[in-house]
Amino acid sequence: MQIMVNPSSELPIYRQVMRQIIEAIACERLKLEEKLPSHRELSEQLVIAPLTVKKAYDELEALGYIETQRGRGTFVRSKLPKINRNNHSDQIEQAARSLMSLAYLGGVEFSEVVKILREVDRELGKPQVKEKA
Amino acid sequence: MSAVLEFENISLSFKKGKPVLQDVGFSVNPGEVVGLLGRNGAGKTTLINIAMGMLRPEQGAVRLFGMSPTNEPVATKKRVGYVCESQIFPLLSTVERLIALHRAVFPTWDTAMEKDLLDRFQLPMKSRIFSLSKGQARQVALLCAVCHRPELLILDEPASGLDPVARREFLETSVRLLNSAGTAILFSSHNMTDVERIANRVVLLNDGKVQLDRQLDSIREEICVAIVPCSSATDPGVIERVPGCLQVRQVFDDWHAVVEGSPEAVHVRIAAAIGRNGVRCLSVPLEELFIELLGGDR
Repeated sequence: MQIMVNPSSELPIYRQVMRQIIEAIACERLKLEEKLPSHRELSEQLVIAPLTVKKAYDELEALGYIETQRGRGTFVRSKLPKINRNNHSDQIEQAARSLMSLAYLGGVEFSEVVKILREVDRELGKPQVKEKA
Repeated sequence: MSAVLEFENISLSFKKGKPVLQDVGFSVNPGEVVGLLGRNGAGKTTLINIAMGMLRPEQGAVRLFGMSPTNEPVATKKRVGYVCESQIFPLLSTVERLIALHRAVFPTWDTAMEKDLLDRFQLPMKSRIFSLSKGQARQVALLCAVCHRPELLILDEPASGLDPVARREFLETSVRLLNSAGTAILFSSHNMTDVERIANRVVLLNDGKVQLDRQLDSIREEICVAIVPCSSATDPGVIERVPGCLQVRQVFDDWHAVVEGSPEAVHVRIAAAIGRNGVRCLSVPLEELFIELLGGDR
């Protein structure tokens, strides 16, 4: 799995693992119903405590992204939870603020920013913004 | 689930009136990884030496698997692995003979694990101990400390002086041992990123006392640093009295306060005390927190 942790980040390691797994699910690097590595495999791969992996998985399970099937392992759920739109749009607005302040500082035109957003969207491989014909 | 290692109100001084450890108490549970932190001279090595039965506390008691390490040296050492910064091995022995000696002494020696580690470390088996590099010597020490599948691994600055690759390999071996044998680990370290990687809990020693004993995630998410300009609070006492404030120090023109709570919650509490005069609250990595807690005014 393409995950890297950075111990000097302000986010605790279990949160970093959670975030990267959610990102992987969002851009379909992890498919629905795909099997995740075991606690043991991921802890050895990332060189972090197995309990940290367990904590990340437990939280993701509580959020409804993954499920543990006894004796078989941990899988991405076949149906993903509906995210709380309000909660999420707050975060998007925040990210947009910092994006736009960067653009202003760099003197980047708004249309240029939109172009960059499109490129990123294409790169992540899940086009949701419908382009006008 | 009883603790594998328990310190109970340990006190010890080498000179009269100058305590090295004062009333230190905490325990390590099976499968737990505890990082023992503190500045040089805080008492970490002394505490570890007490756990290994190399020193006796003046007051208090230490129990390894419920036994006293000084009264039951053999029964306890069978179940512990120990690596320290300045491990002393017979210098003229070869790697091969030293490992053979350990294999003969420990009835629970796991030859498969030995082989696995030898394959990974690629140690020069015929070389004498004194001719090894620092990294190789530490690998030999680790191999000898883990192949009897100890229930508790005690590491005193295990990775100090090693290059980043060797350090990571050392951590990898520890994680594998955690996974394969459920071994508990107590390790002292000055390397905060290593601690963040593998510790579940952190015990911070300061001047021979336990200043902080907490789950690492809780430290990361429930303690933050508030930066308050000195101009907004002439008296640090005002900040010290904010609920949850652990300590305040001055850094140039600002007060740096370590406060319990999320940055948002702490911001509200400080604003209630002094108004919103340019207060910033941040979550910080362990290294910064360590410096905030143990560094003096600047």
